[in-house]
Amino acid sequence: MVNPSEGIMDAGHGAFMEASPYGIESKKLAMWLFIASDTVTFAALLFAYSYLRIGSLNWTPPFKFLPSILNGMVMTVVLLTSSLTMLAGVMAAKAGNQKSCLRWMGFTMLLGIVFAALHLREWFGMIHEGWRFFQNPLGGSVEVGTGFFCVTGLHLMHVISGVVALAVVALGYRSRWLTSGHVETVSLYWHFVDIVWMFVFPIVYLMNAQ
Amino acid sequence: MATNQEPGMKMYVGIWIGLIVIMLVEVFLTYQHMAPRSLIACLLPLAFIEAGIGIAYFMHMKYENPHLLWSLVPITIFVLFMLDHIWPDAFRLASMSMH
Repeated sequence: MVNPSEGIMDAGHGAFMEASPYGIESKKLAMWLFIASDTVTFAALLFAYSYLRIGSLNWTPPFKFLPSILNGMVMTVVLLTSSLTMLAGVMAAKAGNQKSCLRWMGFTMLLGIVFAALHLREWFGMIHEGWRFFQNPLGGSVEVGTGFFCVTGLHLMHVISGVVALAVVALGYRSRWLTSGHVETVSLYWHFVDIVWMFVFPIVYLMNAQ
Repeated sequence: MATNQEPGMKMYVGIWIGLIVIMLVEVFLTYQHMAPRSLIACLLPLAFIEAGIGIAYFMHMKYENPHLLWSLVPITIFVLFMLDHIWPDAFRLASMSMH
């Protein structure tokens, strides 16, 4: 007796696939949906931070131009440059140039690590000055430190996760079990991390310049 | 699978320079001794311009099917608006003192 579902089973999953209404691969759509949800996470934190900053009567801005604001400017340039190298990597992947793509992805990861190192230097500098999660060495609101470490900590975690994700995709792309589509998808995450910094820098650093 | 012709590296470098210039303008504004509320009112629009350029060009939203933009962006902005102005937590702000 012939099983009526056999023909469908033989056809594999492809028989049930429909064209995407957005004209993009499902993994890219999934990444966009993740980015939208992560936007809300960052926005909630930045909203709270902004209101605390403006609403607190004893807020003590901690950042001098040297070294903190300048450090923040360098970090911004580093992250923007990493977006540029990531774009070069995606263009190379689309052109089928694996070697060039991997090289650009390597530069992107390196810049991500430089950004994280600069960020940690800033953190250790503040900790050395006496800043803690619930401690303000200037005698003002403790929320200055709480907000700073929360917002920048979440962003730093995203940068480190991004470097790890880039490394995994680069290894997969090198061994051909991942495609240029995967490179493009992980690039969306990397650019998102860059865009979030465009808000973190003015709200957390510039609004707190002495 | 982008819908339009995507830009080349030359344009991306131009955008990169533009974003750095906006960042320098932000730093310049920071040292104009404005009140915190005025300063944030100046810095946030610039940050949104940077984000818009980043999403449009770096993330290629400008070159994707417009359905993607209209499905994602309005709902995200709606949620952010509700989060900041309507949902219960937003009302706690009314009792905060502003200076």
